[in-house]
Amino acid sequence: MTGGVPGQVCLMQGNEAIVRGAVEAGINFAASYPGSPSSQVLGMLGKIARERGFYAEWSANEVCAFQACTGASLAGGRALCVVKQNGLLCVADALHCAAQAGVKGGLVIVSSDDPSAHSSTNEFDSRWQAVSAGIPLLEPTTMQETKDMIPYAFDLSEKAGQVVLVRVTTRVCHGRGNVVLGELPEKPRALERVREWDRMVCVSYMHGPALQKLETLRQLFESSPCNHYEGPEAPKKLIIAGGTGRLYGQEALRRLGVDRETGFMALGTLWPLPESYILKRLRTAEEVLILEEVDPFLERAVQALAGREGLRVKFLGRGDALPPFGELDPDVTAAAICRLTGAALPEKKPAGDLELPVREMSFCAGCPHRATFYLLKRAMRQEKHPGVVVGDIGCYFMAGQSAGQYAWQTCNCMGSGVNVAEGLGQLTNYGLDQKVVTMCGDSTFFHTILPGLVNATYHNANMLLIVLDNSATAMTGFQPHPGTGLTAMGDHVKPMDIPKILDAVGCSVETADPFDVVEAEKTLRRMLDQPGMNVLIMRQPCATLMTKERSKKPVRVYVDQDVCIGDGCGCDKYCSRVWGCPGNTWDFQKNKALIDPVTCVGCGVCAKLCPSGAIKVDRGEEA
Amino acid sequence: MLSTIALDTQVLRRGLCTGCGACQGLCPYWGSVDGRTVCFFDCERTDGRCQRFCPRMPTDLDALRKRFFPEDSILPEIGPFRGLYLTRAADPGLRARAQHGGSMTALVELALKEGFIDAAALTRSQGGLNPEGVLATTAEEVRSCSGSSFQVPPTLAVLNRALKENKYRRIGVVGTPCKTLAVYKMRANPLPENDNHAENIGMVFGLFCGWGLDWDGLNALAARHADPARVSHVDIPPSKYHSLELRENGAETVSVNLDEVTPLVRSGCRYCADMTAEFADLSIGGARSADGWDVDKGWNQILVRSEKGEALLNLAREKGVLEFKDAMEGGLEKLKKASLGKKRTAVKNLRELTGAPGDLGYLNPSRELFRDL
Repeated sequence: MTGGVPGQVCLMQGNEAIVRGAVEAGINFAASYPGSPSSQVLGMLGKIARERGFYAEWSANEVCAFQACTGASLAGGRALCVVKQNGLLCVADALHCAAQAGVKGGLVIVSSDDPSAHSSTNEFDSRWQAVSAGIPLLEPTTMQETKDMIPYAFDLSEKAGQVVLVRVTTRVCHGRGNVVLGELPEKPRALERVREWDRMVCVSYMHGPALQKLETLRQLFESSPCNHYEGPEAPKKLIIAGGTGRLYGQEALRRLGVDRETGFMALGTLWPLPESYILKRLRTAEEVLILEEVDPFLERAVQALAGREGLRVKFLGRGDALPPFGELDPDVTAAAICRLTGAALPEKKPAGDLELPVREMSFCAGCPHRATFYLLKRAMRQEKHPGVVVGDIGCYFMAGQSAGQYAWQTCNCMGSGVNVAEGLGQLTNYGLDQKVVTMCGDSTFFHTILPGLVNATYHNANMLLIVLDNSATAMTGFQPHPGTGLTAMGDHVKPMDIPKILDAVGCSVETADPFDVVEAEKTLRRMLDQPGMNVLIMRQPCATLMTKERSKKPVRVYVDQDVCIGDGCGCDKYCSRVWGCPGNTWDFQKNKALIDPVTCVGCGVCAKLCPSGAIKVDRGEEA
Repeated sequence: MLSTIALDTQVLRRGLCTGCGACQGLCPYWGSVDGRTVCFFDCERTDGRCQRFCPRMPTDLDALRKRFFPEDSILPEIGPFRGLYLTRAADPGLRARAQHGGSMTALVELALKEGFIDAAALTRSQGGLNPEGVLATTAEEVRSCSGSSFQVPPTLAVLNRALKENKYRRIGVVGTPCKTLAVYKMRANPLPENDNHAENIGMVFGLFCGWGLDWDGLNALAARHADPARVSHVDIPPSKYHSLELRENGAETVSVNLDEVTPLVRSGCRYCADMTAEFADLSIGGARSADGWDVDKGWNQILVRSEKGEALLNLAREKGVLEFKDAMEGGLEKLKKASLGKKRTAVKNLRELTGAPGDLGYLNPSRELFRDL
């Protein structure tokens, strides 16, 4: 990321290209909260921050990250904020304010969208946020463009005095491609003292000047190197692509052999629209296909432009030629282009007739969450009226599926669980006769649970919050959070003590070990019976951390198949079917349980649950 | 249908569950909390012991009793019958702690001593509230279980665990009619691949039962009228008193109007057609002879149903463990009438539940027995 010589060609992942771009831009400040698909960016920046003389931080949440960036910008620093689509919505209020106040040092937000929600709870399109906040929007396609667009965005930001949004998608973040390296600055730009009469304030009369900035940017975008056109001078059939749509489109055009007669416009500057640039081709077009992910963002904007200009153009896009949601792929793109051009759609041959088994997402082998949700289901079933469980966002999102015994009835966004539960918990004083439970991870606790915790405790809601303390931000790859005692730049700092925070807030707090299934269930049931705001910390390190431990001290868990009763009455594959740990498998030859020694991390919980006592744990030195 | 779903939809959700525990102690799927039967997770087997043993899953009662008792001994109103006796424990110490005459405790103790049984699955009520099932193997443990409870705990879970352990070979069971029926289902209808050592069931002692009460309901009622922690005895005197008695340790007995109690009757008991525990070697209840409550107070009536039961009772007479009281003129008729009354109520309630006069739900396989009711 910091090596190589200018002009050298390197194979890079999109996230790496963002990092290289930031370093070439000479950033002074970077802040982020992890979220797929862009989680790796700040991790890499943290590792090189000292060497390159900038500051990098895993912030407690995206709002902290973005607002810290506006602070850095006030001192003339170049600041990069990296968020995923959901994070950008967390930032929305701060962004709308910053957009009116303007920036001094360049401020760029990289927002990574996850079309088809491969590693997200929901799919949506960040680009509308740019329109709403009134800020410029860029979207790269190739790795080269991704790298180049970051310094370009910083230059734009400073030229216009405005925040710039760079939107990337999963395939860009995780794809790989060649990147020609640019110059690295000697050192980050010098900071400027904040002057007495500097005023970067969000007040309503700044709305007009903010809109004026957009007009300036529109002029710049008319000749931006980020926009490309190939094809006939006066196309009748025109494709306009944004983001990944460009690569899918180019590939399909060539494959179908209609690339010469079809106009192909790839836009990197999506907002404000480079109107003249677009109109030059749009005026001759009879039919236009828009390729973009996910919403018809460009489609609506170009339609509006055509309408304003009184053009008679037929538009194809999302909802007609393309599915109304989900990411693009070569097949849907080719089909849409066939519809535009009249080319014949080539028949698709299946790669093979092998059907892959459908697998649900699950907790890792040895994951402490599995034990917690197993106990929670047991506890809930013991209530006279089964309780209501409110989910939250983290690995434990999977608790809504079989991995967590279908634990919860509702799940909103990150940090919502405690608030949804508070609402239900208050109604237990008004006739709702159910226990109310919610949960959060330790990282989520710092991210957005704290205000809800204060609210629920202050208003004495009858509820239980389970803090799944696995000492990690496990879902996105073990980034440090305020509970870990580590920072993005590798410094050791004083970790935040969750029990102390809870004590100070004033709720009832207990800690249990979910692997001690008997005691943990008792504690859980006792807390469910207590009125008021209760917090149970389920503490057990993440299984992936345990795997590292296990390599030092191997534990062998195995099934005594003479004792195992398999699918017989009294068990019915309790370990592999109900407990459901990937380490508990099935011996189809003998119809007995089996432990997969490769997957098993040796937590030994299944041995405690086996109704026949057939699962044995050999801890080596004790044998 | 999957076992857990079958019990859930056909028994629990229909309000038929008695809380006997026959489905428990066998696997990790079933458990009990405060008398409520709880399914923790779904089992995907289509056949299982829980389904087979549950006294509220369809049963051909006629075939079942003919299998274990001579046909000519069976009376339509009260089941197998070899004699009716009025007895009480000879030991006054035992009587002092007993519900009525202490005959059950004396007989189980004797059965254990004389090798009729080598352990006993009993209900310990510890002062009348929140009872639990225990496996007793000594006379002291048996005595600690004297006294009745109006909440039904899952005692058969204890039996199931003891049978699975296969340590005791002649386990006695004391239970309400729902429990003793389940025990006979265990004997008659074991799972082919896993009989759960049903041969280790030694003797069955039935308790007369009108109904049990909802656990939470009785606890709340007790709390309204007394200190629940100090309640040492709960009883229901004959119907003319229309009351439930709560006795507190070292305090006066509190009488609660029965109107406050009847809404707390466990739903499953409304569909029970057995007052005298027809599936048992011996069935025992408080004496309710024609002479009246005050005359019979402190005595039991015993229905002897099997040879083994008869042998034990004779031994008790020989050894002077029980005192016998003569003359029960009209007693049998009175018992039959009361028993028939419970059957009528059950059939009426079942018809209401199913919504069809010809549909008696779990009693359908024995529909013939209840045709005229």
